[in-house]
Amino acid sequence: MIVTRVLRWGALAAWLCMPLVGAAQAPAPVPAPASPAGQPAAQDGFVPVSQLPPAEELPPGPLVLGAYGFIWAAVLGYVWSLARRLNAVQKDFDALAKRQR
Amino acid sequence: MFPVALTLALAGFIVAPFLIAGAPYESTMGLVQKIFYYHAPSGMMMFLGAFVSGTASAIYLMKGRQGAERVAAGAAELTVLFGLIVLTTGPLWARKAWGVWWQWDARLTSSLLVWLMFTSYLLVRKYGGPGSDKLAAAVAIFGMANVPFVYISVNVWRTLHPKTTVIPSLVPGMRGPFWFSTATFLCLFLALLAVRVRLGERQAQLDDLYRAGDDDMLEAK
Repeated sequence: MIVTRVLRWGALAAWLCMPLVGAAQAPAPVPAPASPAGQPAAQDGFVPVSQLPPAEELPPGPLVLGAYGFIWAAVLGYVWSLARRLNAVQKDFDALAKRQR
Repeated sequence: MFPVALTLALAGFIVAPFLIAGAPYESTMGLVQKIFYYHAPSGMMMFLGAFVSGTASAIYLMKGRQGAERVAAGAAELTVLFGLIVLTTGPLWARKAWGVWWQWDARLTSSLLVWLMFTSYLLVRKYGGPGSDKLAAAVAIFGMANVPFVYISVNVWRTLHPKTTVIPSLVPGMRGPFWFSTATFLCLFLALLAVRVRLGERQAQLDDLYRAGDDDMLEAK
């Protein structure tokens, strides 16, 4: 009975002290380092794509080539799939004709 | 129809790159805007395919015409093909123009939804078992019903995608290559649809022959 009561009070005290322990263990806030001289400050706003420095711009050539290449690959792939299916049907026709002879 | 459409499509795809290369550069996007000359016509063919497939499916469900079912299946395949082109070339353009590959806005998401519906049409038709052609036809009708919403989405909701007014407001130097590309894609669509419908007819003839053969064997037993 006494043991249960001690345990109950102990648990309550531990639960109440948890925020204090957490606050004691939290690291003290470190002030942000000043940006070294000669370097631009960190970006903290929106920069339109058209105003990006040339080094950060995406070259459009590979994107355009990729788009046109993909279109051709997809169309030719579909044409190949149609040809394959037509050939398969023709083979079945031939096999059927041979069997009927 | 097939030889004419195929010849025109091939001739168009030979000439179109020269017209597109000669078209003026768009002032803000530059070279990447050239994707538009094949991206937008592919989108139009995706819409056309969905309309043809949905209408043919409705005819098949109401009148039971097998020919309509073959047209619906062919047009659904083309919807998936041109949809795949749209959903791939669009992000390639968007990465440069918007800075992101994809945005879950109304136009992009609804286009993806239409593409998924016609992909599910093909899957249901292929793996659904007996009677799945009617279930697939219903899916195609719902897919077609989505197309007007995809079209108006850019005007009704706030989206990054350009509005439908872009095409009528093209400068004359861009208008010619754009409509030439669209006509070329239309010829390609018609040629591919003609071949796909022919394939469906041959498969149906083969099925009839197999069935006739089975009946003969049963009678002989």
